[in-house]
Amino acid sequence: MIRHPLLHEFSLFRLKRSVLLGIKSLWMHKLRSLLTAMGIVFGVCSVIAMLAIGEGASYEAQQQIKELGSQNVILRSVKATDATTAGEQERSLILEYGLTYRDISQIQATVPGVLVTIPAREVKDFIWNESRSIDSSTLGTVPWFPEMRNRAVLRGRFFTEVEMSSRAPVCVLSQSLARHLFPLSEPIGDTVRIQSSYFRVIGVIQDDPAAASSETEDKNRRSAATPGAAMEMLIPISTLEDHFGEVLFKYRSGSFEAEKVELHEVTVRIDEPDQVMPAAQAIRHILERNHKKVDYEMIVPLDLLRRAERTKQIFNIVLGSIAAISLLVGGIGIMNIMLATVTERTREIGIRRALGAKKKDIVVQFLIETVMLSGAGGLIGVALGLAIPLVITHFAEMVTIIEFWAPALAFSISVVTGVLFGIYPAFRAAGMNPVEALRHE
Amino acid sequence: MISPPTCEPVIELRGVEKHYLMGDTLVKALHGVDLKIFPGDYISILGPSGCGKSTMLNILGCLDQPSIGQYFLDGLDVSKLSDDDLSQVRGKKLGFIFQSYNLIQQLTVVENIEVPLYYQGVSEKESREIAVDLATRVGLGKRLDHRPTELSGGQQQRVAIARALSNDPSVILADEATGNLDSKSGGDILEIFDRLNAEGKTLILITHDEGMSQRTSRTIRLKDGEIASDKRREGTVP
Repeated sequence: MIRHPLLHEFSLFRLKRSVLLGIKSLWMHKLRSLLTAMGIVFGVCSVIAMLAIGEGASYEAQQQIKELGSQNVILRSVKATDATTAGEQERSLILEYGLTYRDISQIQATVPGVLVTIPAREVKDFIWNESRSIDSSTLGTVPWFPEMRNRAVLRGRFFTEVEMSSRAPVCVLSQSLARHLFPLSEPIGDTVRIQSSYFRVIGVIQDDPAAASSETEDKNRRSAATPGAAMEMLIPISTLEDHFGEVLFKYRSGSFEAEKVELHEVTVRIDEPDQVMPAAQAIRHILERNHKKVDYEMIVPLDLLRRAERTKQIFNIVLGSIAAISLLVGGIGIMNIMLATVTERTREIGIRRALGAKKKDIVVQFLIETVMLSGAGGLIGVALGLAIPLVITHFAEMVTIIEFWAPALAFSISVVTGVLFGIYPAFRAAGMNPVEALRHE
Repeated sequence: MISPPTCEPVIELRGVEKHYLMGDTLVKALHGVDLKIFPGDYISILGPSGCGKSTMLNILGCLDQPSIGQYFLDGLDVSKLSDDDLSQVRGKKLGFIFQSYNLIQQLTVVENIEVPLYYQGVSEKESREIAVDLATRVGLGKRLDHRPTELSGGQQQRVAIARALSNDPSVILADEATGNLDSKSGGDILEIFDRLNAEGKTLILITHDEGMSQRTSRTIRLKDGEIASDKRREGTVP
């Protein structure tokens, strides 16, 4: 169809005039227009702000879980809740619990798809750098630990297989521990002391991203690993055995504790991502058979990831409902005011009809007014919705992510709301009898 | 009776009746009105209240349609037109002047005058020229951007006249145009009407003021929904 250029110009001209007219009519009642648009403002602003906060929170959670390695299954030794009452251990004054080398060899032998296992033992004691000390944990592990756990070596290097087989007294400090023990000097090349053993610092590694999250996740089953959160020191597992033996003694403010734990932590790496869940199931069966008491805990990052995604879905549904309700309320408010406006301007409608306005013209006029009202509300809402996450990030130090489509979506919904809730008042205005409308006082 | 003029009538009513249903009773507001109005006519329609004046105005103004009978406006039978077509006819061929001025409050003088042009799709520039010109002609050239609330009654009615003229209508209908005005301003308005008629415009003044019949060239009296008399003053030609 070929459109006459004049026709095109004509409709644009009319639209422009209608918009100007709408602005004039809304401007006559500034406060009323502002209050009417308020419902939409808050609806749109809350949609954007909550989306940004939700996206940010789930991004952070997923990032932490991903850093644990989505192909890993992490096993940790924990004190069984009834371990102290178990007669035998109490008599020997040595707590014996946790994962064993036997578990690992069984897992490696029977579970298909297991690539590597990373055993780790832990000693909790004061770590000293001359006069500075901290009660922290020392983890004996294997050279491929950083790679498997997605932790970057920030400075220096991690220990090698040679160092492990030669039981070399070397250590790698976590970032926060390094900062604590060596606030002013360079740690690499220096030595730290635990009890009577000295270790040479060869590297600094990223903090454990899971330390904070696992702490909040399950308070009852606190793992044997780091209560001091991210502060830890890593040494070859063979070195740890040499220096601290099989039974670990702890002296704490006068009391004495001894534990016998073969392995504190084992990371099992599965080769295929879709084999992780079945393999985790198999590992759980093996551990259940080997341990009558639940003296271990199992963390499956992939499972956590899926759960986090499900949580996010639920969050999105709740968010969507809140947004829908607030926009519905806003829309009803607008409709209410527009109906009042139509009644108030009955006479104007009569005049316009007498002067040649068709029903369609009246519909368009009122619809444009409603859409401008909701659209203006939408714009203010978008502005507020973009500002609020910035404020939250600044003051609460939370990550917020504004997806590019969120403001666009929220704004278009506000316009659609205007159209939907404007249709009825507009048609009511147009349906008036001109004679009666002119007589209206 | 008037002698039949030679030209075609601008308005012709043939056996027009208008019935209303009020509750259960049928009210006949007009019955059997036959009327011809010619270009250049200057008519006052007089009658006591309840005689069918308002109904007559609504039908002549295409705001309402006859129940029975035909109404030809410029040769077009408007008695059966659709709502949209009726709007079109109003906007193109008729100019309205009301007792209470009926200006749109949120618009300025010029913008009020432009309203009929807007619905006719006249371009912004052209309609602005027409509106400014008309405002000047009715003596409001210095008040183009005033709001109706800032004007006196006489001034508002002059804006309404300018608005009625903006689309160059075939007929101008004035409903008690001076009813709300003092005699001085009312006189000014009537002078404008005289001038418009002298320029060849067809005017129909609906009023209950007997004095009006002295001014207009033709007087139609309504009584009980019928034309009681239709007199043309001596020496006047449509």
